[in-house]
Amino acid sequence: MSTLEQGIQKQIADWLRSGEIELFIGYEAGTVPLQATPAFIRRPEDVGRLIWDATCENNLAVFLPRYKGKKVGIMVKGCDARAVVGLIQERQAVREDLRIVGVSCPGVVDPKKVAERLGVAVEDIEEAKVEGSQVLVDGQSLPLEEVIYDLCQACDRHNPIIFDVHLGEEIPEDPERDPFAHVREIEALSPEERWERFRQEVERCNLCYACRNACPLCYCNICFVDRTMPRWVYQTTRPEDVQFFQIMRTFHLAGRCVGCGACTRACPQGVNLRLFLDKLRKDTLELFGYDAGVDPEAKPPLTTYREDDYNDFIMG
Amino acid sequence: MMSAQEIPPDWEPKILAFLCNWCSYAGADLAGTSRIQYPPNVRIIRVPCSGRVNPIFIVEALRQGADGVLVSGCHPGDCHYLAGNYYARRRFALLQRYLEYLGIEPGRVQFSWVSASEGGRFAEVVTKVTEDVRKLGPLRRLNIKAASLTQEGEAG
Repeated sequence: MSTLEQGIQKQIADWLRSGEIELFIGYEAGTVPLQATPAFIRRPEDVGRLIWDATCENNLAVFLPRYKGKKVGIMVKGCDARAVVGLIQERQAVREDLRIVGVSCPGVVDPKKVAERLGVAVEDIEEAKVEGSQVLVDGQSLPLEEVIYDLCQACDRHNPIIFDVHLGEEIPEDPERDPFAHVREIEALSPEERWERFRQEVERCNLCYACRNACPLCYCNICFVDRTMPRWVYQTTRPEDVQFFQIMRTFHLAGRCVGCGACTRACPQGVNLRLFLDKLRKDTLELFGYDAGVDPEAKPPLTTYREDDYNDFIMG
Repeated sequence: MMSAQEIPPDWEPKILAFLCNWCSYAGADLAGTSRIQYPPNVRIIRVPCSGRVNPIFIVEALRQGADGVLVSGCHPGDCHYLAGNYYARRRFALLQRYLEYLGIEPGRVQFSWVSASEGGRFAEVVTKVTEDVRKLGPLRRLNIKAASLTQEGEAG
């Protein structure tokens, strides 16, 4: 057990004992290698289950809306912290009720990449663990930075921006990094090429809704895909219906998506949803000067307006 | 844009227009009572306010086979509900850019402000949208009815 894990466990035990929180949402070892699973700790004697390493990929903020009104502790990485801010802004979580343990994250392991490096299927990895900056698997040692998710390799938010306790070392950010380089690449294409890019990307989608379920900001009581009167989304294999779903789910996050990448990591088909959501984040920043998940007091951009807002797109 | 020979000879653009009850719909009415000619390609849906137009309506219209969509409301500052069009403007600014980013051609989805006294302007707007979409041809992307546009014998 690392000293960081010891620190986390002690902090949570203290909070549970003092009654400061009644529940802590963290990570514990999962049943499959390289994927930790969310842990819901209610008793101080259970804190020994808590872990922290590069297998802790879930964004735990997704659980916060259902515990609204309770005193809850939560563990957040840099990206997750922004989602917590988003939920506070949208009144899905109350800052005073939260105890946030922030950890700086160097990136989380993509089991598919590890399997690829070993030349096996993901299911065939039997034993693996992360030690420091190495992933030890089947007698081999892989550098962590090479097998983390693509979006983690492009990360610009290693350090949480909201927390009560920050444990472990901070990770320096690269101020030169362009967080929207992948969006600019697509913007430069022709409409035909852009459509082809979108069509091919969402062609793999089989409407499992894992993206929706993993997204912390997708908390609607009745999602538009589940509505039957009127019915918007037809659960068919018709490409247009799948495209429609992807356009509308992503657009519902316009001005709200914090870019945590939970959807992209959750997608079993490897659809790069970030390619589309980041366009919305980029435009929100360009048009309204708004970066989601930064200021808990800020009003989300689509719930407010300015008289001198961008008007050039309206027919003259 | 598709080449001219791919556009079926008898094809006419289908434009769906969401018009706000207080300004643009009244503007359309004025165009009618003033006997101003405008293209019959437009199908009008009256809505209480441009702020009532959920982006899903626009995308659904395309999915269902509209070749173009127009949303028109009161000029900024003139909204019957004071600010509905301001909220709408933010949403549509993002939506229009987003649809273009995904590959829906620029010109398919347009927005305008037309007041109740601007019958002539309404006719101009509808003419412009219709002509823009006519140049683009039938919508082949996102449109569930696009398959029926392909000629018999071709894979659809």
